Amino acid sequence: MIKFGKGNLRVPQWSRRVFMVAGGCTPFRKYFPEYKLEELVMMGYKMMLEDNDLKMSPKEIKDQIQYCAYGEFADHFQDQLLCEAKIHDYLGLDPLWNNGIKTGGATGGAAVLNGAMAVASGYADTVLVCGWERMDEVDTRTGNFYISTAACKDFETRMGRIYSSYYAPMANRFAEAYNLSEVTRAKVAVKNRGYAMSNPNAQQPGHHTVEEVLESRMSAYPLRFLECCAMTAGSASVLLCNEEMAYKLSDHPVELFMAGGTHTLRVADRRHMEIPLLPNEPEGMYDDLLAESGRWPGFESFLAARFAAYLAYRMAGIKEPLDELDLVELHDAFTISDIQTYGDIGLRPYGQEPDYIESGDAYYGGKCPSNLSGGLLGTMHAVGATGIWQAAEVLWQIQGKYDKFHGDEKWWQRAGKEKPADWKSLQVPDAKQGLWISHAGVGSHVTCGILRKAW
Amino acid sequence: MSKAYEGPLATKFIGTPSEIYDDKGDFWVVDFPRSITHHHTYGLLTPFFKGLTEGKLMATKCTNPECTENSVWLPPRADCPDCYARTEWVEVPTVGKIYAYTMLDYAGIGIEMETPYWQVDVQIEGVDTIFKGYLKQGKPVTGMPVKAEFRTENPTHTILDVCWVPIEG
Ligand SMILES: [Zn+2]
Repeated sequence: MIKFGKGNLRVPQWSRRVFMVAGGCTPFRKYFPEYKLEELVMMGYKMMLEDNDLKMSPKEIKDQIQYCAYGEFADHFQDQLLCEAKIHDYLGLDPLWNNGIKTGGATGGAAVLNGAMAVASGYADTVLVCGWERMDEVDTRTGNFYISTAACKDFETRMGRIYSSYYAPMANRFAEAYNLSEVTRAKVAVKNRGYAMSNPNAQQPGHHTVEEVLESRMSAYPLRFLECCAMTAGSASVLLCNEEMAYKLSDHPVELFMAGGTHTLRVADRRHMEIPLLPNEPEGMYDDLLAESGRWPGFESFLAARFAAYLAYRMAGIKEPLDELDLVELHDAFTISDIQTYGDIGLRPYGQEPDYIESGDAYYGGKCPSNLSGGLLGTMHAVGATGIWQAAEVLWQIQGKYDKFHGDEKWWQRAGKEKPADWKSLQVPDAKQGLWISHAGVGSHVTCGILRKAW
Repeated sequence: MSKAYEGPLATKFIGTPSEIYDDKGDFWVVDFPRSITHHHTYGLLTPFFKGLTEGKLMATKCTNPECTENSVWLPPRADCPDCYARTEWVEVPTVGKIYAYTMLDYAGIGIEMETPYWQVDVQIEGVDTIFKGYLKQGKPVTGMPVKAEFRTENPTHTILDVCWVPIEG
């Protein structure tokens, strides 16, 4: 769609408020042969039930669940159709209704949105949202090919068989159009992989330097290996509730606002269109920018992310994202997609995205830190679980539980790792509101979720 | 009443035993190998792929007078997403300009070109979309003029039957 119809921009109005009260996840690894998939899912699900200070026993909570939204990216990876049925049975939740959700890299976010719709509509008061991916049954290059079949198989997949090659042209365009240096891109990788050092579940933590990032092996120019996330095996869960159940279950519930957007799978097909403006963007503010590029979103931006944020900010009544959000978790599958998103969700106006990093705003202690979890670059991208795990990380920040879930020896032991002597808390003091973005290949599906302290 | 089968029951295993890939821990990881062929249709887009083998770039255009966009699509599509009219085939120029590019070094399994190579996105006059392909020779820069070359002999019957080369001078 390149022109909005009268009804297309309606802001979603949920019939009931939706809350998130608990989250859980597994450690994230490249290769996780100690457990079958359903056993990994159980691990994250039990963490959600047992370790979130809920006011009911795990069995009592299980007895309250009425609906499950399951995220799984690719049947290829699981080598199992209808995995949802196996997982659901394994969690002992038959005959409750469950839906399998698939929206590429945004699968986790889409599962949360689906679960939220079930609460908002009244279908359910208590909803399990759970996602997983087992990307370790095939070697890395086969995995890259599997993922690339989420590009258009007739016109794109054969051109690279790896997603870095579909983001890399955007990176080159963006560098020319908006003056993005490779150093700024590398800083994103250094930042997020560095934050992953504090996360016991992280797959690829590391104190890297900008030089190391820029000297790492090239995947698709200009994107280097350290600028790309890895393949992961793991699972994540969150629990959604209506208002009454939220306060019955938790003294620290968090309210959820959420919307999604989509755009054509092939970047090639993204015709020029008007920019839907965020609440803080006055009419005409992008006239000069458009006069120069002649094309929006072009290869620089993501309509799906902009549209999701356009709706979600209005649902939550957010006017100035950078002032009103205490932290964000973005979908940094690649350094460039992370940076592209800053403009889409209004952390900076379009054209000034690099400044979000260069100003320090994006760092711990900055105005609105991003990816303190370690992000996809440092911690995980078990695709179906990713957008759910990101939500859990934002939830725990708002609940003041960063240290509980990242600093406690228990989690380091579970992950089979030693807690680093220089472990650093990344708890945002007094965090009240956070956002997370779940994003599918080259922005075909994007969800924007906002979590707000509700006690 | 039907009678149960009373013949000999002697089923033989005629498959291949699964190899153990990893038994270094308390678990077994076993191999499930496979080789599969899909029979994939190009449907109404078949003229595009045929066109490549004839040295032509065939796009589709919506010519519906009621349509607000009347876009020209490459990759083509049989139905206009703006007005839902059936589109028409048009031949478009086999020259264009580089809009974006990347050098692909580490490709996924099964890649059919020697790596590294340049993948390019080409803007063609009169076409509303930007067409992805690869550069057979030379080094791309944004705005560089290129012309299409076609694999008319021994075609692959895939999108790899068209590529781009710089226009000299
Ligand atoms: Zn039309």
